[in-house]
Amino acid sequence: MATLALFAVGILGGVVLHAFLEKGPAENPFPALPKVDEPPAAHDFVAAVGAEDAQALSKMADISILTDLDAALQPIVDVRSTRFVGAVESEGRLLSAYVVTGKTAQGIDFVVGFVLRVANDQVVGVN
Amino acid sequence: MVGLRRLIGGSAGTLLVGVLAGFVISSAVGVFIQDSGLFGASGESPIAHAYMLGYLQRDPNAIVGIRPNQSIAQRAAELQGADASRATASIQPLSLTYIGGGSVGSYSVHIYAVDLRNAQGVDQFFSFALTVAGGKVIRRE
Repeated sequence: MATLALFAVGILGGVVLHAFLEKGPAENPFPALPKVDEPPAAHDFVAAVGAEDAQALSKMADISILTDLDAALQPIVDVRSTRFVGAVESEGRLLSAYVVTGKTAQGIDFVVGFVLRVANDQVVGVN
Repeated sequence: MVGLRRLIGGSAGTLLVGVLAGFVISSAVGVFIQDSGLFGASGESPIAHAYMLGYLQRDPNAIVGIRPNQSIAQRAAELQGADASRATASIQPLSLTYIGGGSVGSYSVHIYAVDLRNAQGVDQFFSFALTVAGGKVIRRE
């Protein structure tokens, strides 16, 4: 019983020691932008990616955007899910960010992130 | 006398193991809470955060331990570029925003928006998607 109590006291001491030594990451010295809602154009674009609807995607974007999207999704070849994580805006320029999970060509579960650039209610770039 | 010594030694050992266990547990819980976004945590990885600060402050030494190993020539070239960049103040960061992230297994991805002014005075607004695994940034998009 006394040994158990001593062990518990040790654990408590370890937690206090960790709190004392662990200072956490440095503060962000730069200002952060406020989040905005997901742009509808980006939402439709990513919905097509999530549904693996190549037909719809081909009508929404030109070849350079599709090439950039392909690079951004590497090494995922089989998209399983897409998730909007946030969007920010600076002087009319919008960035809408997504996390995509899926499988690689080797069948390994992987996660990638990409960002759509949106202007005039259109997706104008990837990353 | 020997019995007393053994008792004190055993007690100190138990206490020491407890301290180590407490330290490891609180460290693991801290990482879990930070990565999961529980209790108001942003979900931002401290590794990704440190990487972005090192990048924007043009300090390659700050991120040398949290990215894949590079050759000596690559590291030297990077330091040279950072020195030149600092000397000419060619870029001025205006904002750094953590947008969000997600994870699968041991892989996590963290996305940032960066606003900076280049040497010509032109503002650039772009993003970084950092993939973190094994305590390092293994990919930057």
